Amino acid sequence: MSLIRKPQALLLPALLALSLSACQTTSPTAAGDGSVSYGDARAVETVTTDLGSTDIQMIAEKMTQSLLQTPEIRNAIKKRELLMASPVKNKTSEYFDTRLITDTILTQLQKNGVKYVIEGEDMQNQVDELRRQNQSGLYKKSKSVKMGNMQGAKYRLDGSISSIVKKGSNVKDVYYKMNLRLIEIESGVVEWSEEKEIRKSAKR
Amino acid sequence: MKQITMTAALGLALLGTPCALQAAAEGGTIASKVEELGKMSYLKVTDMRAVKRDGLLRIQVTISNTDNSNQQLYYRFRWLDDDGFTVWDEEAWKPEIIYGLQKKVIQAVSPTFKATDFRLELQSPKNEGAPFSGSNPPGGITNQ
Repeated sequence: MSLIRKPQALLLPALLALSLSACQTTSPTAAGDGSVSYGDARAVETVTTDLGSTDIQMIAEKMTQSLLQTPEIRNAIKKRELLMASPVKNKTSEYFDTRLITDTILTQLQKNGVKYVIEGEDMQNQVDELRRQNQSGLYKKSKSVKMGNMQGAKYRLDGSISSIVKKGSNVKDVYYKMNLRLIEIESGVVEWSEEKEIRKSAKR
Repeated sequence: MKQITMTAALGLALLGTPCALQAAAEGGTIASKVEELGKMSYLKVTDMRAVKRDGLLRIQVTISNTDNSNQQLYYRFRWLDDDGFTVWDEEAWKPEIIYGLQKKVIQAVSPTFKATDFRLELQSPKNEGAPFSGSNPPGGITNQ
């Protein structure tokens, strides 16, 4: 009796294992219908003539490479002089966040030893935290940061991006020009400036 | 292509800091610095110069179009240290139009002081046997 039961007892787990293995895949992906996929963030993007990832990356790359060659930036690295980025003016007909460009430039400069200070929308968080530590009465004095020790930047980056759009009967042509300047804040002297031009065309 | 790469001296002008670029100059041919994604039919790297100045590697590459028609090129640099490790994030692919029979000069400066060597990745959609065909750039997103 026990001899007859044994193969049956083995058959059920084996079938279960087989049915489970049929569902298994070596691809580390979650369930999906395959309509969504990941692409290369560094690929050349030519979906439309609007400013896109490739344009942002090319602009930031050129500006960083050019900035690193300036004596002011080299000195800033040596002497730990501070940099900040004013909001770049978007004069194109499209909406996009120009901080995409300046944030990338600042990050790449920072990797090379340039120190920069925060400004604009990040400033509020900084002020809030300083006030919380000093004025809320929640923190030990010995373990909280002091007010009045923030450092000002010596240089600021400022610039604009403009576009000229031309439309023919069967073609659309867009010319972008990004201008970036490095300004010594105390004197207002422009120490460095650079431009990047991009032309994009599409058949209509 | 082979003949050109073998005969065209890689003009690694080792001005400034010759020692720093000694590793980069190893091999001494354009072929050792260029990585083509599929053999290019019409575009050839005919000159390449590298110099380290003020701590930054400066590269100048001449790409010649041997065809009468315009050619699309995609390129990017990979920045390496003496030991062959990458010292910077992957660069974005950059598009470039090379007019018929034009010799286009491409210049680049390393984005970091740590770079002592480089590789130039090239892809042209009309490459012979390229893994990409039509108007698709490497991993490119195109308007369908």
